[in-house]
Amino acid sequence: MNMKEFIAKPAKPAPSSAVGPVAWMRENLFSSILNTACTVVFVAFLVSIIPALFDWFFWSANFAGATQAACVGDGACWVFTKAWFQQLMYGSYTDGELWRVNICVISLFAVIYAATKLPKDYRNKIAIPLFLVLPFIWIIILNGKLLGLEHVSTDYWGGFALNVLMAAASIIVAFPLSFLWALGRRSEMPFARTVCVILIEFFRGVPVLALFFMGSVMLPLFFPEGTNVDKLIRVWIVLILFMSGYMAEVFRGGFQAIPQGQYEAADSIGLSYWQKNLLIILPQNIKISMPNILATFIMLFKNTTFLLIIGIFEILSTTQAALTNSNWLGGHSTEGYVFVALLFWICCFSMSMISNSIERKLETSHRN
Amino acid sequence: MSNEQLVKKSPSFFNNPKNRSLVYQFLLLAGLSYFFYGIVSNTIANMEALGIKSGYGFLTETAGFDILMSLVPYDATYTYGRTFVVGLLNTILVSIVGIFFSTILGFIIGIAYFSKNWLLHKMSIVYVQTFRNIPLLLQVFFWYFAVLAALPGARDSINIGEAFFLNVRGLYFPAIVGESGSGFVHAALAIAVIAAIIIKKWAKKRQDETGQQFPVFITAIGLIVGLPLITNLILGTPFILDYPSLQGFNFAGGVTVIPELMALTLALSVYGAAFIAEAVRAGIQSVPHGQTEAARSIALPEKRIMSLIIVPQAMRVIIPLLNSEYQSLIKNSTLATAIGYPDLFTVFVGTTLNQTGQAIEIVFMTMAAYFAINMLVSVIMNFMNGGVALTERK
Repeated sequence: MNMKEFIAKPAKPAPSSAVGPVAWMRENLFSSILNTACTVVFVAFLVSIIPALFDWFFWSANFAGATQAACVGDGACWVFTKAWFQQLMYGSYTDGELWRVNICVISLFAVIYAATKLPKDYRNKIAIPLFLVLPFIWIIILNGKLLGLEHVSTDYWGGFALNVLMAAASIIVAFPLSFLWALGRRSEMPFARTVCVILIEFFRGVPVLALFFMGSVMLPLFFPEGTNVDKLIRVWIVLILFMSGYMAEVFRGGFQAIPQGQYEAADSIGLSYWQKNLLIILPQNIKISMPNILATFIMLFKNTTFLLIIGIFEILSTTQAALTNSNWLGGHSTEGYVFVALLFWICCFSMSMISNSIERKLETSHRN
Repeated sequence: MSNEQLVKKSPSFFNNPKNRSLVYQFLLLAGLSYFFYGIVSNTIANMEALGIKSGYGFLTETAGFDILMSLVPYDATYTYGRTFVVGLLNTILVSIVGIFFSTILGFIIGIAYFSKNWLLHKMSIVYVQTFRNIPLLLQVFFWYFAVLAALPGARDSINIGEAFFLNVRGLYFPAIVGESGSGFVHAALAIAVIAAIIIKKWAKKRQDETGQQFPVFITAIGLIVGLPLITNLILGTPFILDYPSLQGFNFAGGVTVIPELMALTLALSVYGAAFIAEAVRAGIQSVPHGQTEAARSIALPEKRIMSLIIVPQAMRVIIPLLNSEYQSLIKNSTLATAIGYPDLFTVFVGTTLNQTGQAIEIVFMTMAAYFAINMLVSVIMNFMNGGVALTERK
């Protein structure tokens, strides 16, 4: 038998008009006259802008030096941000004590890490109490009096660290409070419900700045005569309440997304109201609401810059102070703002990426 | 087992849910009353100690300070009550302009996301991700201190056609001043708008009854542009343009947009547009692709698919989102105080409060004003939402 063995010829590659960069460009950039015009305009725009941007950012920029005198040329003067770096990050916190601020920020990330990575059995028992005591630990560490360290008054706290810690401390306390408000809003007790609705709608409906002003102008009037509550604490209270208003609405959405059967099942095994809500509903609610909680937190984090208005030295007001410093009157506002914008952008963007990935993980419906 | 044991015992007093809820609510009420009693008595004591007056008498007192920009006549001899009005109008102005531009920009960017052009699609994403993740206050500062402050002085203004001037002191453009007879042109415009609305209603009714279509859009445009134009020509153009001109070191005449207003509007529009673009994207994505396919299969032309099938369904998702974006834009306009644009917050909570010291009344009035504006926006948007909402079986 002489049967010729069949050898398949390798398939011909698709013509270059269907695959490859040229085809891709034809499909995505030049598919019609309008499309081509669009592409040309945008390419022209990008070509005119990007090299100039890079030039300003890197090639013509000054990196070396320590004073205004080092700023020569047309590019950005990063000497400015370098010279003010410590101020921008830590405010006027005492020089030798910066490690305390670092410890606070690191402890925040350590607890977040622990909350996601610890074995399930201890996770709740360890991470949740840790979270709740964190803000108070920070206050003790940063203040230093109780620990026998050098006392640093809140007037010197500031910089980006303050933005981060303030936002974190606010959402941590707002968490239980807002859950309580959200529960109250769904409660069957008419008076409790009304109180919660008023609270939530008030703190959502009023501009944050008005709340800050209330905190700095009106709150002192509410305390008994002679009590002097620290400005930062007052602002913290305002941020907590503001945040609780928004978070309560996030939780309300979560409550509505949990199937009725979960409530009924909890009731049928005889759990009390608090057992039902804390052991059955809350964990599911947090899971469902996580993307929205993160979105709300991003908003709060960006809003911590508003502290500038009432004279607290967070990063943006430190930048403003640096820009008007008599040694640096060379018009470095763009560099300053770009630096702060980059910091915030990196933080907020990575948080929104995390939120997206959680959302994708939770997306179990079979649409599309 | 005796029958008596089977009879359900009524629960003890505290295990009865009704009694329980009453007790809890009573405790809440008592707690709140105590809280408010404490606050009120503390406040009264504090105010007496500090010598702060109370009541709204200050509203009729003379203010004695100037305001940078005012839409109604105002100078230092007017009352504190007037400062409230001036600030409120400035807030409304910046809100309306901000909402207008952010909506236009937001819709363009939101729709650009669905462009077949790869570059346009990516640019839309880059825009949203950039401006959404940078604090608004920083953007306000950037426009005000970095961009607008770098503009040339009055003598070297950026000049467009000898009519528009842009310099470090603001944007100047010609004002349209009506002379005698201009009232007729305004009346013609009003009549044209009313006529257009009536024609639209009539055309819809006719189409419902007979199926015949009427070119409503072209007719309406023709009416709204044509009628005032013809009236204008008949009366011999009763308008003059008041051009701004350089006199000494500054411009006189025309309309001036102060840099504070420009920076605030720019920042609010650019920031708001990023969120509105997201809303538009979510809205369009919420319309299932089957809707487009169904429309194609009944041979609707592509343009009509967009306007008759996609947009109305997308609007159901977009309008509630727009409602909350507009409200947050209005609340964010309080950032005016950071750059000194005289909005309600800057003028009333800033200067007036500093001068009178009546924190409670002033903060209360300001909050009430913002609540009222937001409520108004909400009512308008809900009305619009009623027009697009899904009408389900009753």
